[in-house]
Amino acid sequence: MSAAVEYFQYVLAPQMLIGLVLGVAVILVALGLTIIFGLLDVINMSHGEFYALGAFIALALASIGLPYWLLLALVPLLMLPIGYVVERGLIQRVFHSRDRHVTTLLLTFGLGLVLEDAYRLVFGPNPYKPETPISGGVELFGIFIPSYRLFLIVIGAAIIAAVAFVVYRTRLGAMVRAAAYDRHMAASLGVPVQHVYAGAFAFGVALAGLAGVLLAPIYTVFPTMGRDFILMAFTVVIVGGMGSIAGVVVAGLLLSQVQAIVSLYISPVWSEPIVFGIMVAMLMVRPQGLFNRLGHG
Amino acid sequence: MVDAITRSMRASHVLVAVLVAGSLAFAGVGVAINDTFYLRLATEALIFAGLALSVDILLGYTGLLSLGQALFFGLGAYLSATVLMVVPSFWAAMGATAIASALAGLVGGFIVQRVRGVYFALITFGMAQVAAKIVYNTRALGASDGLIGVPVININLGVVSLSSASPAGFFLFVLALIVVFYAFAAYLLDTPFGRLLIALRANESRIPFLGYRTSSARLAAYVIAAMIAALSGALYPMLRGFVSPELLFFATSGNAVITVVTGGAGTLVGALYGGLLLTVLKSVVGSYTEHHLIVIGLLFMGAVVFLPKGLMGIVRPAIERLLARGRTP
Repeated sequence: MSAAVEYFQYVLAPQMLIGLVLGVAVILVALGLTIIFGLLDVINMSHGEFYALGAFIALALASIGLPYWLLLALVPLLMLPIGYVVERGLIQRVFHSRDRHVTTLLLTFGLGLVLEDAYRLVFGPNPYKPETPISGGVELFGIFIPSYRLFLIVIGAAIIAAVAFVVYRTRLGAMVRAAAYDRHMAASLGVPVQHVYAGAFAFGVALAGLAGVLLAPIYTVFPTMGRDFILMAFTVVIVGGMGSIAGVVVAGLLLSQVQAIVSLYISPVWSEPIVFGIMVAMLMVRPQGLFNRLGHG
Repeated sequence: MVDAITRSMRASHVLVAVLVAGSLAFAGVGVAINDTFYLRLATEALIFAGLALSVDILLGYTGLLSLGQALFFGLGAYLSATVLMVVPSFWAAMGATAIASALAGLVGGFIVQRVRGVYFALITFGMAQVAAKIVYNTRALGASDGLIGVPVININLGVVSLSSASPAGFFLFVLALIVVFYAFAAYLLDTPFGRLLIALRANESRIPFLGYRTSSARLAAYVIAAMIAALSGALYPMLRGFVSPELLFFATSGNAVITVVTGGAGTLVGALYGGLLLTVLKSVVGSYTEHHLIVIGLLFMGAVVFLPKGLMGIVRPAIERLLARGRTP
């Protein structure tokens, strides 16, 4: 019995905590992705690059002396107009074409390439390691956890709750859900659909930027940082159900735990193929994912 | 039956003939100045144009965007490298690749059969990712190093024998093969089967009312695209003497998509010119700055927004008008 408790305390629980940090991080990135898909029907292939953009803006502003806690609020605010302009100036140009899914996917894919190379041009290819804003660690139920990671879990949960509150419990959220369900009906009821669309895109992009600021001290900042991370975010969005907020949270926690626990028993390099395998299997069996789309039941 | 699509395809044939003529001249100059580097670069461009051709069969005709065509390209490359290291025979490598890719295409086809639209793009993407990660972590396949030491082979063509180490000879041989792939695809898409694929793109739910099965047409298109991608990939180790897991990565699939969209989806010849353009851009822009991705990315975005039919959307109608004028003086 005590062996089982010790196994849990020293092997399983720390690993699950690592998984939880990854899970919260992925959920933050995936939330924006799923909102954009749920509302606009757009697969934002450049989402990972917006995540990186948040980290790079924070890096640039930190170098002129702004404190980390200010950046946490400032970077998402700076990302909002960027996202708004991208939606109005770029996405809308191909939004009404016949193959909207394909053209918007291609356009954002191209945007991602340009952004990634632009970061390399401005910041160089080498990784930066920002200073961890909270040092040290705490012991929680006999498990040691670095303070910053604990902070990340708490603030991540708060952000997820705030997003869910805005989408499901406010007038603004109701307009978003109405536009997702039936854009023409929403428009005729006076919802400014054009602005809701652009606003939702900007909001999703800002969330990705916020995730970039939060995760930079853990995962370091480099031009292709979005690339590896976005795969996991896509997997979470697909398994949870494209355009579902609850789905992202559930699938994000589930898949990150799968990845963390699997790494205990087989070589960690195989945890990624397993997670992607789950995604392919999910697409085969239930392409719409675990949960319903935003605004749909 | 001669309809608008047949007339457009005739213009595509003319453009392929122009490309072949240009390539012959290029090979001639290459031999005259004893060049190796540019001939090998052009051969590689043709091989990746073959991959792009397979993407165009799916995207341009059935309207299915594959983000994981590198899966089959990599399969062909790895299989060909493995076969060549045991039996240094061109025909054995190509035969094995053809059979294996047809089987893999069938299996993959049954998986992707279940989804449409954006989910098709994601599932092909996911499958390629799984395969890439598996190869990347498998010692027996060389893991992250890939397979090196693929021998130079002599391609026995009955009357003559050709070495894969000869820059001009192998370039012309690959050119001939890619033109054969093009001709095969163009022929196939001009048959009633090809019209069925185009109808699939236009309105899939209406096709069963006309008495056709959509599932078998989609599956056939997927298998043919898989085979063309794999056979193009099989040429890669013959040219470079090695294969690496990068061939399976998303960048390879993504480049093929960029090639097709910039060149012109649904034209087939766009894949070939797109491949040529991208290679030239990479080496010209790449000689000034290492940031050629910005230029290619912007060009690609421009094509998506302003040129729904890519570069061929500008060039091909002009050729069509020329052809029409020639017929009715």
